[in-house]
Amino acid sequence: MSVVVDSLAFRYPAAGAGLDGISLAVAPGEFCAVIGPSGCGKSTLLKLIAGFLSPAAGRIRIAGTDMTGVPPRLRNLGIVFQNYALFPNMTALENVAYPLKLRGVGRAERLRRAGQALERTRLSGLADRHPRQLSGGQQQRVALARALVFAPGALLLDEPLSALDAAHRAAMRDEIRAVQREHGIATLHVTHDQEEALSIADKVAVMRDGALLQLASPQELYDRPADRFVAGFVGHANLFDGMVSGPDLVETAIGPLACATEGRPVGTAVTLLARPEAVRTDPPDDAVNRFGGTLVRDRFLGSLRRYDLAVPGGTILGETLSRGDIRSVQIPPDCLRILPA
Amino acid sequence: MPIVTALYLLYLAAPIALLAIGSVGQSWTNSLLPSGLTAGWYGQLWSDASFRRAFTVSLTVCTATCAVTALIGVPLAYAIYGASRRGLRAAARVLFLLPVAAPPLVLGFGFILVFSSDSLPFLGSGWLLVAGHVVSTLPYLMQTLVADMRHLDLVTLETAAESLGAGFRQRLFGIVIPSLRQSLSSGLIMVAALSIGEFQLSNLIAGFLSRPYPVVLLQAFYGATGFACAGTMLLLLLAVLSALASASAGRGLPSRKGTPS
Repeated sequence: MSVVVDSLAFRYPAAGAGLDGISLAVAPGEFCAVIGPSGCGKSTLLKLIAGFLSPAAGRIRIAGTDMTGVPPRLRNLGIVFQNYALFPNMTALENVAYPLKLRGVGRAERLRRAGQALERTRLSGLADRHPRQLSGGQQQRVALARALVFAPGALLLDEPLSALDAAHRAAMRDEIRAVQREHGIATLHVTHDQEEALSIADKVAVMRDGALLQLASPQELYDRPADRFVAGFVGHANLFDGMVSGPDLVETAIGPLACATEGRPVGTAVTLLARPEAVRTDPPDDAVNRFGGTLVRDRFLGSLRRYDLAVPGGTILGETLSRGDIRSVQIPPDCLRILPA
Repeated sequence: MPIVTALYLLYLAAPIALLAIGSVGQSWTNSLLPSGLTAGWYGQLWSDASFRRAFTVSLTVCTATCAVTALIGVPLAYAIYGASRRGLRAAARVLFLLPVAAPPLVLGFGFILVFSSDSLPFLGSGWLLVAGHVVSTLPYLMQTLVADMRHLDLVTLETAAESLGAGFRQRLFGIVIPSLRQSLSSGLIMVAALSIGEFQLSNLIAGFLSRPYPVVLLQAFYGATGFACAGTMLLLLLAVLSALASASAGRGLPSRKGTPS
């Protein structure tokens, strides 16, 4: 019940885009999200694992078996598609029973198991409806039940929530995770929504231009991104380009910033990362890394307030619970993370 | 707007209504409406051997045309839908729209030239009539099918079925054909109606023993008005019946409705 991808490479003949030697392992019961901007190769990775594309190099192992070159129908993977891909000529129950039918399960038995699977996704009452009579969220739950009913070797989710409205998305996210835990199945979830990935996954793979930039837990990805692209793609970020100008001091466009330079020699080009929630408002006048400025944007988001403070040489993005006026901020040195330029 | 619609509907319905009235009128010469009531014209029609033969020919040709267009149309539409190359798709489109654009007369003369030769002496045979009807009706079925395949996003459905473990045959008979039931039946309604009413091409290529109903009907207009009206009403009935029959035939395909058999 695991997925192991080893040095997988692929190239689209015309576009020149593709994958360059991706290696990645999803353990049984683990939930791995793959994120990246469009065209980064995340969907290609999914198609390669599913068998709809053949890799130029590398191996794919599913539940311990080498599946490289095996046709898709024999890979024993549960796949949930972006637009659900429910069969319009079958009811919800028949859709879920279909993979069992293909596996030669007797009629009574497969209807019983399909019924159970629908019950697990709280759809028992809608078993006799056709897909067009179901809402997006209901269709998604049928698709999930169909992908899991035959105990597949792994579960692949291809942007399964992107067609749902925001209100249903969060609920469906939790539901997918609960069902996945219950089955203890290795799951690969492809999405362009970094917030979705952080909230649902055990670990997250960030891709760009066909390469895997970082594979880490959501916390680590957020707190210790590998480079400035990951830092900017995952969550909100202040990124300051600069150069080490002394011991624990970096010269940037907004002025010198004190932070741990971890022994980098003077003159090294670096990028500093500060998450907006680490930025403190109205610090004492003698605080280090204190910046005075004017509030240029102020977004009230209910549980927090996200603002842009224009300071000489740039802008600082901050998040606060305070409702008062903001004239100065401090970026505490221990909240600044140093990244390669 | 409602007035325009009403007038238009009246304009459409009036000839049919007049035909219906005329078909049961005793005599109808130089007056707005016929006088006298009779079922005699229908009786005459029934006892006329050439009409009865034409009736059978039309039904047979229509049934055969529906069967052949369905057998050719589904795989062909599938191939056109699946063609990934833009050029190929465009070529296929032109090819299957050509019979619509070319007047039936052109098609008819072509048939006469080709099939009256010594090497292909098939002019006048019933099968040639079916072939002609297939050529002129197939595009309509193809249009409906290809549009429905696009609408259903058949590629994704097949991908899903494949990921669930379905091979080609299982996908074809379990997913593709059942999903196309609706459009196949509505396409076949059109094919049946067109085939029953086809006159231009049939008139040119039908043999004396295989004349379909519309061709024979033309003769009736040289005779009594009531007889012609009754004949036309019968054609209308024939078209409606065959459309209904082909619709139910299309729906009767493996549907698996209600039971995942």
